[in-house]
Amino acid sequence: MTAGEPLIRWDWIASHGGVFVERGLQHIELTLIGVTVGFIIAFALSLLVLRYRRLEGPVTSITGTLYTIPSLALFALLVPYTGFTVLTAEIGLVSYTLLILIRNIVSGIRGVSPDVHEAAIGMGYTARQLLWRIELPLALAVIVAGIRIATVTTIGLVTVTALIGQGGFGALILSGMLTFFSTEIIAGAVLSVSLAIVADAMLVLLQQRLTPWVGAG
Amino acid sequence: MATQRGASVEFREVSKRYSDQVAVDRLSFTVPAGKICVLVGPSGSGKTTSLKMVNRLVEPSEGQILIDGTNVLAEEPTTLRRRIGYVIQQVGLFPHQTIAENVATVPRLLRWSGERIDARVTELLTLVGLDPRRYAKRYPAQLSGGERQRVGVARALAAEPPVMLMDEPFGAVDPIVRDRLQQEFLQIQRSQGTTVLFVTHDIDEAIRLGDRVAVMRGGRLVQFSPPAELLAHPANEFVAQFVGSDRGLKRLALLTVGGTELETDVDPARVEPKAPRLEPSMSLRDALARLLTSESELGLVYEDGRFRGALTLRQIGHMIRSDA
Repeated sequence: MTAGEPLIRWDWIASHGGVFVERGLQHIELTLIGVTVGFIIAFALSLLVLRYRRLEGPVTSITGTLYTIPSLALFALLVPYTGFTVLTAEIGLVSYTLLILIRNIVSGIRGVSPDVHEAAIGMGYTARQLLWRIELPLALAVIVAGIRIATVTTIGLVTVTALIGQGGFGALILSGMLTFFSTEIIAGAVLSVSLAIVADAMLVLLQQRLTPWVGAG
Repeated sequence: MATQRGASVEFREVSKRYSDQVAVDRLSFTVPAGKICVLVGPSGSGKTTSLKMVNRLVEPSEGQILIDGTNVLAEEPTTLRRRIGYVIQQVGLFPHQTIAENVATVPRLLRWSGERIDARVTELLTLVGLDPRRYAKRYPAQLSGGERQRVGVARALAAEPPVMLMDEPFGAVDPIVRDRLQQEFLQIQRSQGTTVLFVTHDIDEAIRLGDRVAVMRGGRLVQFSPPAELLAHPANEFVAQFVGSDRGLKRLALLTVGGTELETDVDPARVEPKAPRLEPSMSLRDALARLLTSESELGLVYEDGRFRGALTLRQIGHMIRSDA
């Protein structure tokens, strides 16, 4: 920040609407890809864990280890192999969603009452029908709760990917820091936090829509 | 309403062994089509295991279970289960489905048409005493325990199964509701003609509901008889103790005033005015209660307004003692 310069220059903000939209779309895109791919991988791994219990230890420790690697370090490690690309960003983003998503999918399905389970099997549900028609719908609230945490976390992490040429709103923060321009830093930060809040609220609404039986009674 | 045809269920030398113990030991008995057989015994007697072998939630180690002569082991388990009704104590209604969807479970698995399912759901909810307009769209969490249990029965009956398995279905509701559910269940069972295997640890429930009572202990069948026979002739000391020292009194509930020999040389005009009027369809237990509360030695039995004779305390006492 240069001396005499105000903290926020509103005229700059007013004239950069197009940039915000562009960065916003990139931020959303990086987040959506990360959470979606993460969910697909987590779902497959969860089914394996539920089917073969002995896989639970290895899956938990591997995803747990991934989760503890600092994001900056992970991106730095990947750059020599995959460069300053979306792929590098997504490998990191996806890795960080796995632990939370797997934990919630598995515990959501295990949380289905044994009576419901027994009644379904006793009335002639196949294993597949049991999973899709009974276990997953009943686990939905817990699964969506996991998706919320994963989404909010990912939106935060996307800003870090600015360092490898991606970043969405993070790119604003980075460029503001490099040019000592506080307006740009604040704009990037406020916008990414807002995005996280809006995404979380939308997921809450989605969950209420998907599980009308919760709270009935 | 279409009357369903029950199927006979036969256990032939059925055993279930787990690595270190025998849960069911060479169990053999036959439940005739359309009858209720109650499996009763203390916990660990193997009654629930026996029940679950019928729909193969538990696979027998040995022996055969035949439904209308066909071995259940010859059939694909899911196909088998879709034609056997199943009700458990905790009901196990699907919390995410409405009452109508719950009842439609097996018809949907069997891919009935939507119209046929809707009609069946309406019919069943009415049958179990729940107004379809009020209940169809509700979720299980919005129902009382007794209402949920009725939905459980409706759901089990949905695809007109020839056989229904019930594992302590009325165990979790309070005594007043249980009494009513039992009564309604008997009516429904008679109207549908379904063969029922019913597990309970409550001997009174067994006597009330069973056409046959199978008393089990330690995985073995100790006695298999109609309830009146069980009370009159317990096979051994264990059964005698299990049915209770008041078994004579219990038997009165199974006998009717009309089925008892009445004193006909009584002039109804000349007996004490406090003598209560009795009907032939009443159970002897209810008749006894009437006599005791009215402090009368005898009751007057009328059928369609015509005097049939008198029932005395002495006769009731005789029925309690008699082994007939």
